Amino acid sequence: MAEHFRGELPRLLRILAAPAGFLPLGPALTLAVRRFARRKPAVFDRLGEYGKCSFLIEPSDLDFSFLMVPDGVRSEVRCMRRRATQPADVTVRAPLLVLLGLLDGTLDGDAMFFNRAISVSGRTDSLVALRNAIEDAELTPADFVGATGGLGKLVDRSVIGGLGLARRFTGSPIPGEPS
Amino acid sequence: MSLELVCPAGTPSALRAAVEAGAHSVYCGFRDETNARNFPGLNFSPDEMIEGVRFAHAHGAKVLVAINTFAKAGAMDAWKAALANAEKAGADAVILADLAVLDHAATHHPNLRLHLSVQAAAATPEAIAFYADTFGVKRVVMPRVLSVEEIAKLNAAIDVETEAFVFGGLCPMTEGRCSLSSYATGKSPNLTGVCSPPEHVAYSEDRNGTATRLNGFTIDRFGAGEQAGYPTLCKGRFVAGGKTSYLFEDPVSLNAASLIAAFAKAGITALKIEGRQRGKGYVTEVVRTFRAAVDAIDAGGTEVEVGRLLAGLVEGGRQTSGAYKKTWR
Repeated sequence: MAEHFRGELPRLLRILAAPAGFLPLGPALTLAVRRFARRKPAVFDRLGEYGKCSFLIEPSDLDFSFLMVPDGVRSEVRCMRRRATQPADVTVRAPLLVLLGLLDGTLDGDAMFFNRAISVSGRTDSLVALRNAIEDAELTPADFVGATGGLGKLVDRSVIGGLGLARRFTGSPIPGEPS
Repeated sequence: MSLELVCPAGTPSALRAAVEAGAHSVYCGFRDETNARNFPGLNFSPDEMIEGVRFAHAHGAKVLVAINTFAKAGAMDAWKAALANAEKAGADAVILADLAVLDHAATHHPNLRLHLSVQAAAATPEAIAFYADTFGVKRVVMPRVLSVEEIAKLNAAIDVETEAFVFGGLCPMTEGRCSLSSYATGKSPNLTGVCSPPEHVAYSEDRNGTATRLNGFTIDRFGAGEQAGYPTLCKGRFVAGGKTSYLFEDPVSLNAASLIAAFAKAGITALKIEGRQRGKGYVTEVVRTFRAAVDAIDAGGTEVEVGRLLAGLVEGGRQTSGAYKKTWR
């Protein structure tokens, strides 16, 4: 199992985040990914055959995980309690802030692997494809809530600023700095 | 500008990131076996290349298209198409290694500027003169087996530009001639454009740490918290003579920032950053840092602390000046 890595959420935040596992995060994320697929289909073209693969994303500091099949407008995301976790083609495990940094391109996946901030098991090729597709997607927080224009910029500024502060606070990796 | 900074881009967004971070030139490839970073989800479609070149030119940067694998006998269509698409996109140069591809480019695309890839491993005045005289090659990427002094002597004996790697992943083997990946997986950077193809890589964790396997061969095992490297045989740990060690090369990244002034003095035209497989975070940080370092040297200033600034991005958590200094001799 992965060892405790600095940058994980503090215990208090984990406790506060625990009820989120009971929220309908899966359906909300499914809608967000499908909406994004309609807006930027090229991202899913880049994934090619790997769009049919299942990706289990495990935030190491939360009690729930996400199972995603990024199949364009047929994408599915399921949120599940850690104990109910299902087998997947590939599993990636890292602290939540690291996973979010990889999602928005703030952090470099190879560097996080070298530093042992992430662990991977299963089909490495499908994860490489997903990482590269996400890299090119230039995802922003506004993409996940469907916000555009001025509201989108406000969401981006707020969330990115908040994540930056959270990284400093938790000791999570900062781009370019030693972990 | 005394030194041109040539920066990697695996995706259109990485190209934009490189240009915005200060790249003088960006190198990238098409999404097929014609370039030596043929990883899933990476690289450019012909339309994306057109748009990438347009973006780079609008910002005063050049685009060099890597078509640097060795063409298959009797099946050159992909390489021919890549050359035609690079010219159509308005690429400033193509980076080639294979004799047949060079010949086709020189014959059918005489307006394309030709650079010789590191994959061609041309390290002597005679070899370089052959490529220059026969195909009109204008620039040669130096194999990472030469010292700065050797490059200076080489530059004095040739009439073409030279480009040297300054940062990033480090092949300990002579490029274009390494068969380790082929031995383990049947695929290589030379022919299929990928070293240690990810479909052959597997990681497994147990209480002793993480084991790395390449097509079933266990090539390394990392203890908890120990820095990791790329899953390549050349960076694997093996038992030989009763000792476990990194037999060929440690997991380590090249960082020759301290030699930028020496490179300029040696007559090198361009400095190249490795890493088309890396993310935007890497591209932005490395390009911005090296642009500052090159500008500082140009202005007669002091060296930028590149090693400290980029410590979090390097393989195995370590950096080396590689063969450029050759202190091991």
